[in-house]
Amino acid sequence: MSTPPSLRGGARERLQHWLPRLVLSPSFVLVLFFVYGFILWTTYISFSNSGMLPDYTWAGTRQWSRLWSSWTWGIALHNIWVFGLLYIVTCTALGLLLAILLDQRIRAEGALRTIYLYPMALSFIVTGTAWQWFLNPGLGLERTMHSLGWESFSFNWLIDANMAIYTVVIAAVWQATGFIMAMFLAGLRGIDGEMIKAAQIDGAPTWKIYGRIIIPQLRPVFLSAIVVLAHLAIKSFDLIVAMTGGGPGNATAVPATFMYSYAFSRNEMGIAAASAVFMLAVIAALIIPYLYSELRESRS
Amino acid sequence: MSFLHIHNVHKRFGDTHVLKGIDIAIEKGDFLVLVGPSGCGKSTLLNMIAGLDAISEGELLLNGERINDVHPSRRDIAMVFQSYALYPSMTVAGNIGFGLEMRKVAKARRREAIQRAAELLQIENLLDRKPAQLSGGQRQRVAMGRALVREPQLFLFDEPLSNLDAKLRVDMRTEIKQLHQRLGTTIVYVTHDQIEAMTLATRIAVMRGGELQQLGTPQAVYDDPNNLFVAGFMGSPSMNLVTARITRHEGRLVARIAAPAGDVTLPIVRDRAALEAWCDRDVMLGLRPEAITDPASANREDGDIHEATLEIALVEPTGADLYVVTQLGGRSINARMRPGAPLSPGQSTRFAFDVSRMVAFDPETEARIRDEVPATPDEASTGHADSTGNADSTGNILGQNA
Ligand SMILES: Nc1ncnc2c1ncn2[C@@H]1O[C@H](COP(=O)(O)OP(=O)(O)O)[C@@H](O)[C@H]1O
Ligand SMILES: [Mg+2]
Repeated sequence: MSTPPSLRGGARERLQHWLPRLVLSPSFVLVLFFVYGFILWTTYISFSNSGMLPDYTWAGTRQWSRLWSSWTWGIALHNIWVFGLLYIVTCTALGLLLAILLDQRIRAEGALRTIYLYPMALSFIVTGTAWQWFLNPGLGLERTMHSLGWESFSFNWLIDANMAIYTVVIAAVWQATGFIMAMFLAGLRGIDGEMIKAAQIDGAPTWKIYGRIIIPQLRPVFLSAIVVLAHLAIKSFDLIVAMTGGGPGNATAVPATFMYSYAFSRNEMGIAAASAVFMLAVIAALIIPYLYSELRESRS
Repeated sequence: MSFLHIHNVHKRFGDTHVLKGIDIAIEKGDFLVLVGPSGCGKSTLLNMIAGLDAISEGELLLNGERINDVHPSRRDIAMVFQSYALYPSMTVAGNIGFGLEMRKVAKARRREAIQRAAELLQIENLLDRKPAQLSGGQRQRVAMGRALVREPQLFLFDEPLSNLDAKLRVDMRTEIKQLHQRLGTTIVYVTHDQIEAMTLATRIAVMRGGELQQLGTPQAVYDDPNNLFVAGFMGSPSMNLVTARITRHEGRLVARIAAPAGDVTLPIVRDRAALEAWCDRDVMLGLRPEAITDPASANREDGDIHEATLEIALVEPTGADLYVVTQLGGRSINARMRPGAPLSPGQSTRFAFDVSRMVAFDPETEARIRDEVPATPDEASTGHADSTGNADSTGNILGQNA
């Protein structure tokens, strides 16, 4: 015992203080470089003359005005709007409905919840491919119906330019509804049972108990569900690539597929960068206020 | 015909038998308190009266009508819950008026009724607030307002005060009692707190393990308990219970209790006929702390006082009283003495036992050993005590008039 205990304790404390930082610092540096570094790089490229290869000459807002005058970009924006709105509304409504039904009959809940949650475990590529097969007139549903004897059955939305976007909605809804249902179910479980008893004594029918008392209390769940779905919608690149490849024509093009094709097949890196920065800005506008309010709540 | 009649009611959740044949009848205007330890089935019974839980077996009669299968909203009852169960998305006024709204009462009349209930509970200034903006005590009032506004035949309370702090709990208890006296409503009230039960009730039902142990006025349950459980559960500090040998001494039936400095012998005056059969056997004797006093403060008018000298083990002043602990029958027993009496541990002093209040229990079955017709001085166990009688007795129990 030559060293005084306080000094030894001090050294250990300092090590404890620095060790986590040391361990985390490589990944911190990597994230800083590959995520935030490339965000900055992409932003710069969107103001440059880049075509097939990066070109660092400053071009001002040239790429941005080309983006906004592009016909395809207009279609992509329109599609994401239709897709996003339908996707969010249907998923939320269906998820809530399933959660309420499940909340009423608790018996088979474990099994049902797993069934509904499995789709979320699949990647978008698998979902997209599966639904592409299923809806392909030559392979899936239509052919099955024909072989069962229903010759006049026809379901060709997948190859119909006006309807193709809705097939993507169906597949995306199928995948995410279970997850949204689980979120609502957790919310429903958090509601005080005595409150429902009180409402029963007050004479409220079941639908009014949900409409007036329970659903208004699920507001935070609605908010979370919408934020999750909105950013999934904007990121819905792989699903569309696997299902329709953005086609027929540009019928199911969305900003993500637009960016991909401009960057890698049309050799317009500048426009692609501008569209990427735009998408990032929209997602940030959605997520940052949400995270801010969540963090503020958990701190207080 | 009684107002509310719970007739041989059973409740089973799957294989668990939670209520095992409850029989309770009360009159209009009664304040029935269901009291017992947690998990004894009080809430389950209350939920069955409300119609929130199905009755497995037996009958429930309100005003002579069988209501087993009547929907909760048609039973003309209102309930106040432990968690208050306020609707968070509605204002206080919306909460109070919700039941009327569901019954399609016109808006103007609804507003009037809400106003009246709010005045009664002094929450008029809170009507526009949301429940989240209220304190615990205010939420409690809103929950009561929601029940009062509908003017039901029967009020049900499930541990309404247990989420309040001690001071507020006493205040609200007084207020509930005043409301009951003013409005003359019939109330069934659940609590695990025996003081709440004693202060509020006109009838107490003591429950344990899904069975009714005793039904009676607070005074009857307190003075004339049916068994050891009721004796030990009701009253604070609780009844002194000691083992004693029943023998005959100079021709009289007595109870002999072992004490360090020689046995204490107390004559049997209560339940004498029944205790004759216990001669030369051990019984469990029960005496309330206030029935063991110092000779000066003994009640010689109504009581039957016998003195003995015992050594003081511990002195516990509470301000209003002085509780003195001594050894008797191998146990520590509590005596309530005059505050400020010059007593200290180790000292020997005279203890005055009021043997007219002594009760005896079968140590095996824990049942009371009593004469066929209970010979209690106030006849409390046979009939209804009036409300003034109750008020006196509750004062006594709370130790306020020592
Ligand atoms: N829905 C239920 N299913 C199974 N057992 C229950 C249910 N509700 C209550 N119980 C059981 O019934 C007993 C009585 O419960 P309860 O009436 O809430 O007791 P108390 O209100 O007296 O504390 C407890 O042992 C409890 O575990
Ligand atoms: Mg309970």
